[in-house]
Amino acid sequence: MTRLQKLGIHLALIALAIPAALPLIWMVSTSLRLESAVYSQKAGTAFSISSLIPQPVEWSNYSKALQTVPLDLYLRNTLFLCAFTVLGAVISSAFVAYGFAKIQFRGSKTLFLIMIATMALPGQVTMIPVFSLFRTLGWYGTYLPLIVPSFFGAPFYIFLLTQFYRSLPEDIAESARIDGAGELGIFLRMTLPLSKSALATCALFQFLATWNDFFGPLLYINDPSKYTLAYGLQQFLSAYGGQWAQLMAASTLFTIPIILLFFFAQRTFIQGIATTGGKN
Amino acid sequence: MNLKTNLKSVGIALCSLCLLVVLFSPGRTTRELAQRKYPNRIPVTFWHMWSAEWKDVVDKIVDRYNRSQDKYEVIALSVPGTSADTKFLLGTIGGDPPDVMAQWNQVIPTWADNDMLTPFDEVMTSEEKARYTKEAYPVVQRIGAYKGKTYGIPIGINLSAIYYLPNDFRQAGLDPDHFPKTLELLSAAGERLNRRDRNGNLTRVGFFPGLWQEMAPLFGGGFYDFGREHVSLDTRANLRAIEFLAASRKRLGYDQVVRFQAGLDSQSFSGGWPFIGGAYSAVVDGQWRVEQLAKYAPKLEYRTALIPAPSGGVVGGGFCNGNFMVLPKTARHKRGAWDFIKFWSGIDKPERAAEFYTMGGWLPLSPRIADSPIYRAYIKKFPQFKTFVDGIGSKNLQVPPPVPYQVFLDDLVKKEQDLALRGDISPTDAVRSLVDGVANELHRRKELGNHD
Amino acid sequence: MNMRLRKDLVGYAFVSPWLIGFLVFTAWPFLRSVYLSFTRYDIVSQPRWVGSANYRVLLTEDEVFWRAAWVTIKYAVVAVPLGIFVGVGLALLLNAKVRGIAIYRTVFYLPSIVPSVASSAVFMRVLNPQIGLLNGILLRFGIVGPAWLSDAKWAFWSLVTMALWGVGGSMVIYLAGLKDIPVHLYEAATIDGAGPWRSMIRITLPMLTPVIFFNLVMGVIGAFQYFTQAYIMTNGGPEDSTRFYALYLFDRAWRYMDMGYASAMAWVLFLVIAGLTGFLFRTQRKWVHYGG
Repeated sequence: MTRLQKLGIHLALIALAIPAALPLIWMVSTSLRLESAVYSQKAGTAFSISSLIPQPVEWSNYSKALQTVPLDLYLRNTLFLCAFTVLGAVISSAFVAYGFAKIQFRGSKTLFLIMIATMALPGQVTMIPVFSLFRTLGWYGTYLPLIVPSFFGAPFYIFLLTQFYRSLPEDIAESARIDGAGELGIFLRMTLPLSKSALATCALFQFLATWNDFFGPLLYINDPSKYTLAYGLQQFLSAYGGQWAQLMAASTLFTIPIILLFFFAQRTFIQGIATTGGKN
Repeated sequence: MNLKTNLKSVGIALCSLCLLVVLFSPGRTTRELAQRKYPNRIPVTFWHMWSAEWKDVVDKIVDRYNRSQDKYEVIALSVPGTSADTKFLLGTIGGDPPDVMAQWNQVIPTWADNDMLTPFDEVMTSEEKARYTKEAYPVVQRIGAYKGKTYGIPIGINLSAIYYLPNDFRQAGLDPDHFPKTLELLSAAGERLNRRDRNGNLTRVGFFPGLWQEMAPLFGGGFYDFGREHVSLDTRANLRAIEFLAASRKRLGYDQVVRFQAGLDSQSFSGGWPFIGGAYSAVVDGQWRVEQLAKYAPKLEYRTALIPAPSGGVVGGGFCNGNFMVLPKTARHKRGAWDFIKFWSGIDKPERAAEFYTMGGWLPLSPRIADSPIYRAYIKKFPQFKTFVDGIGSKNLQVPPPVPYQVFLDDLVKKEQDLALRGDISPTDAVRSLVDGVANELHRRKELGNHD
Repeated sequence: MNMRLRKDLVGYAFVSPWLIGFLVFTAWPFLRSVYLSFTRYDIVSQPRWVGSANYRVLLTEDEVFWRAAWVTIKYAVVAVPLGIFVGVGLALLLNAKVRGIAIYRTVFYLPSIVPSVASSAVFMRVLNPQIGLLNGILLRFGIVGPAWLSDAKWAFWSLVTMALWGVGGSMVIYLAGLKDIPVHLYEAATIDGAGPWRSMIRITLPMLTPVIFFNLVMGVIGAFQYFTQAYIMTNGGPEDSTRFYALYLFDRAWRYMDMGYASAMAWVLFLVIAGLTGFLFRTQRKWVHYGG
């Protein structure tokens, strides 16, 4: 790529990144303001960069936020849930997707469409039956309703992985089959290693989903010591408005681990700098 | 390349280590939260929707109760957020309700109709019942009542009144010591207090009235006829109320107000409340602002006054909603729940309970609470609060209509009001649409098998 | 054992986790909600059978239903293609080998990471007519911006634009897809003399089609159920301009306690989405290219 092309790309990226990043800069900026200063700007004034920088900078929002809710406890609970759901979702979905993508068994098309269709019904109306189902199973009050279902595959990930598997070349697998290798072996030894990027993407999505899930724990758990970060975040909002500065501080703290996770994990699911390799 | 790979491995190792440490280190807080303080007592579970600063207040009150007796232990759970309703509902129909809930929303009609709540008449002794009927404010009794029984004990009624800035009044040549006695006079004063900038945009609103639901009772209206026990929408009074609101909005400028309001953090419960910044010279708002002002704008000179009725209107008219305690039918420890409710609400020992009301800045349940030394001291500390305490004794206060489709009605009223206040429809049409909308809904409900 | 049967068994074995989970956790709630759609169910009492009344009232007497359907369809038609276009474009851009690309990618992914309570609060601030960022910038150019979320003409479009911020999620999926495109294809193309634009159209896009298809289907399913942002930011207003179907459903289900009716609404929606999705699957053959 020529230098000019590279420069062009840089400019385009910066131009687009600004609107993407600006609201988030605002979030951090608000988290550093005094509560009373959050809405103190005069109406109708023109925007300037300096308006983003709070004066004075109020670091105490962070310590206040940490004191208001037991974030360390919630973090532990959240990580616990994340670990299990990610494991369960990725493993089970990879399995199922292989079946749909690579094995032409009777009824696979129908089942696949049924699976997609299950995503088309708004969860609002199945909430009550699902709830009573878990109650009947005796799982109310535990983490089980939040963890167990992920071990049975999630349509979103299954669909995604199916698309990935389908675009993998079949020739090597075919020769392995002819040599007598079982599907499981092919799956474990060939397909899985080749789909690392897709698997990592699913892991990231599931991690994020569990990290952000406020409603699941709220609904099924009554013991506040088992609640999660997302619940803790809600604590800053009250019926009469909220403690915005602290909420933004808590939100920033809440977001940073994911940002770091994404930044460092990028390699796994995004093409790296290396120009050779890719896939052989 | 090697360095990068090494760094990456180190990074992964570190992360895993941190993860393990976090996951498996013994948590002081876990144990604290999970353990019961009084494991030998009967547990009484209490769910509520308070969060942020109020959660601390609730925790304190719960703690005080637990220390005041040795039979029960109340365990409070804060269920914040908009999903709280769902959790309350599912918990209750699922058969695992808490023993007592503090609810905001008007669930009483539907829940009572479906036998999900225990009427307090069943747990009160006749003496307690007599005391309650005799002592609690009329509006307090009204808000928790349904079909002749008491299903909710309110512990935090909300009432709105006017907050105004005497300085603004003085500057405009008006006397802040003699607050306008009628709504019309107040409106006129408000006109003189409006300020705009060069482009005609509003920078200050002189008098910003309340919602249709709040203002209608002052005109003799309201959306429910408590005497005849049915919804009443199409009354002259309701029409006059919305006409008044639409006219004052028109004078301010429909779009102007939209822009003006959008630029304000009306929801702020701290220093951002627009009144503090001088956006309004007089505004209608709830009693909780008094403490907020004391905390975030202690130097602000402001006063409160009850909303004046229009000439020929109903003095002391207004609208209240609030938080109340309910007792689910399938609660396991009703005695304990009732004991706790008595303690907090002050049905039992009003002088002691007065303190709790002051902790949350809540309006009292009965005059005995209001007259107690602690509460009197509170009013001395926040003199502007007195307006609300005085106001709450009025017999002319309305509460949300006790009908099963209450939420629908509330939404429709707000919607029609919004249209009228944007100048999209006339006040007469707003009332008409409201009537038609409710009629449609009732018709629909019947068609779908409801027997209201 | 005959080959066909063997293959079936293996296939079902692989798919069994999902199948079992479906039968246990999904099928029963689905069937129950179908049943509920034929009842009058206010959650707190037992459901009472009313036959097709819910459906009849919904389709013939409910103005709000048609309004909500219109708003939602409008949204899907606009947001889904836009999302794909922007998502793919962004992913291509972010696949470039320039320095610091990892940082750019993180920046574009940020909006998907931020909790919705915070991002909605931030956006409401940004779109604030008096003190918001957007109008502030416009003012610099001498333009007086509208009231965005409070303006019946603009609220809908504000939400559409805000949905674009969430494009980071699909962008990541596209990037993962881009990674899997075998490099030798590009090498062969270069040897044949194709320039970057050419190879993009001839190689990249076709190889991306499986992933594009995924995002298309998921986009449609998601757009028709669009809820969270609208609930937090506008709640249907102003003047019903953002009254999405899922919002109305939520109101009927949980606020007006009309779960039977809401179930009927859900199943009507289901039929629409399922129909559309089925149609999309049919078209797969024409434009989705599965390599290998």
